[in-house]
Amino acid sequence: MNGEDTSAPAGGVMLRLEHVFKEFQLDGKRQRVLEDIHFAVRRGEFICIVGRSGCGKSTLLKIVGGFLKPTSGRVFLNGSPVEKPGPDRSFVFQEDALFPWLTVEENIAFGVQRPGKRRGAEQGEVERFLFLVGLADFRNYLPREISGGMKQRVALARVLILKPRVLLMDEPFGALDAHTREEMRDLLLGLWEQLGQTILFVTHDVSEAVLLADRVLVMDKGSGRIRREMQVPIARPRNNYEGQVPQFARTLNKIIKEKREGG
Amino acid sequence: MGLWRKKVIETGTPLLIPAVMVLGWILVSAFGLIPAYVLPRPQEILSTAYHYLFAHPGQAPYAGRFWSDARASLVRVGSGFGIAAFLGLLLGLVSGRLPFAKKLMSSFINGLRAVPGICWLPIALVWFGIGLKTTLFLVALAAFFPIYINTAAGARQINPILLQSGAMMGVTRLRGVFSVLLPGIMPEIATGLRLGLGISWAYLVLGELTGVPNGLGAVIMDARMLGRIDMIMLGIMIIAVIGRLSDKLLMFTLRSLFKSARRMA
Repeated sequence: MNGEDTSAPAGGVMLRLEHVFKEFQLDGKRQRVLEDIHFAVRRGEFICIVGRSGCGKSTLLKIVGGFLKPTSGRVFLNGSPVEKPGPDRSFVFQEDALFPWLTVEENIAFGVQRPGKRRGAEQGEVERFLFLVGLADFRNYLPREISGGMKQRVALARVLILKPRVLLMDEPFGALDAHTREEMRDLLLGLWEQLGQTILFVTHDVSEAVLLADRVLVMDKGSGRIRREMQVPIARPRNNYEGQVPQFARTLNKIIKEKREGG
Repeated sequence: MGLWRKKVIETGTPLLIPAVMVLGWILVSAFGLIPAYVLPRPQEILSTAYHYLFAHPGQAPYAGRFWSDARASLVRVGSGFGIAAFLGLLLGLVSGRLPFAKKLMSSFINGLRAVPGICWLPIALVWFGIGLKTTLFLVALAAFFPIYINTAAGARQINPILLQSGAMMGVTRLRGVFSVLLPGIMPEIATGLRLGLGISWAYLVLGELTGVPNGLGAVIMDARMLGRIDMIMLGIMIIAVIGRLSDKLLMFTLRSLFKSARRMA
């Protein structure tokens, strides 16, 4: 599962969605949630999908994760079609999804320990990720004993340790307070730079998207399409409060509004 | 000093009600308010208990029989409860997770559950005769329902995100049952098992009332026919104590075997 994740050349395509449609049956009526979603993500790229709640962005993420099947169209990860959930596409959920009966350390180790496999080699990795997310001192705490921000650090560490090809994040900081959210963004960016992880990040917070992403995809509620795709031409590290970030966020916000009123 | 007081209160509080009852009992019998053939005096019970537990068998009726009675009853409760736990957990998981299995089993099992356990006694006697098998049948049947229902409810209501988390971290469905589903519903499982074990003792006595030669329930029935009210009361107390201890033992076992039981909130 791990180990040979270097097959895609740097900058090559890691994830490709080809004409993905998704419809749900609701009270006997067909409801189209996604329409002709078609894009590619390069290896190591940080993509944010923004849109209002209910626009289908979480559905899109679940399809990439393999939890939902598209009505039509296909998803390719590193050239092979996605069929079901797997450790090569890891999810960080918005809500607390840690195993409450495992300590911080055991939660992080969960995915790398397999029955019949010896402990030891993995332990080094577990240590490394405990330190990377700054939770070494809290290794023996249970999820109910730590804060929301810490829980999301654990959620991040337990999937990053699996070295997924793509990290899928569904409004992972949505439930956190502003200060913690900022801390978590810095942590995420730090990890991203260190690990070169490909990330698909869903949010409704436009400035969060501008702060984080290489490229922003704007989804439209109602049509279920990606209406606009924009590179974020701002050098890193970016500053949330002055200069280009708030400016670009304003522009993006305007675009989202225009689209909504027009469509 | 404060710490010591806290300790006394902590250990003393659960004993308070029994102590008051025993005190009242001593007073009532000391003043002869209730005749001894209805409510024997505490001293009598103590001496009966001594004979039942420690005297040489054969010296007197019931002398020294405790150990063989307790062993017989424990075997019956243990195996009946074991069968119920196995089937209840297995079918509960299946019906909680697979909608088709729920459709298939749910109304049948709940129909059976509507039948008071005691109704099974006559037919159990016909099918299995008097003795171990009937008792086992009654205990297993009665203990099954709370275990099944709690396990199924837990399995149905577990946060799907936990299962999805397992799946995305590469856990196969079968392994997920052991590494995610079971630990995730440990509180419900523990509740079901404890209720089931409690009911096991009730149905043990029912099964043993039918005329088996040994066992704690059998002793109570036997004593009634001989008019030994002291022995009846002693039997009830012993079942209370052993029932309570077996609940503690169950929790201790779960806690020492499973992290998820140790760390239940």
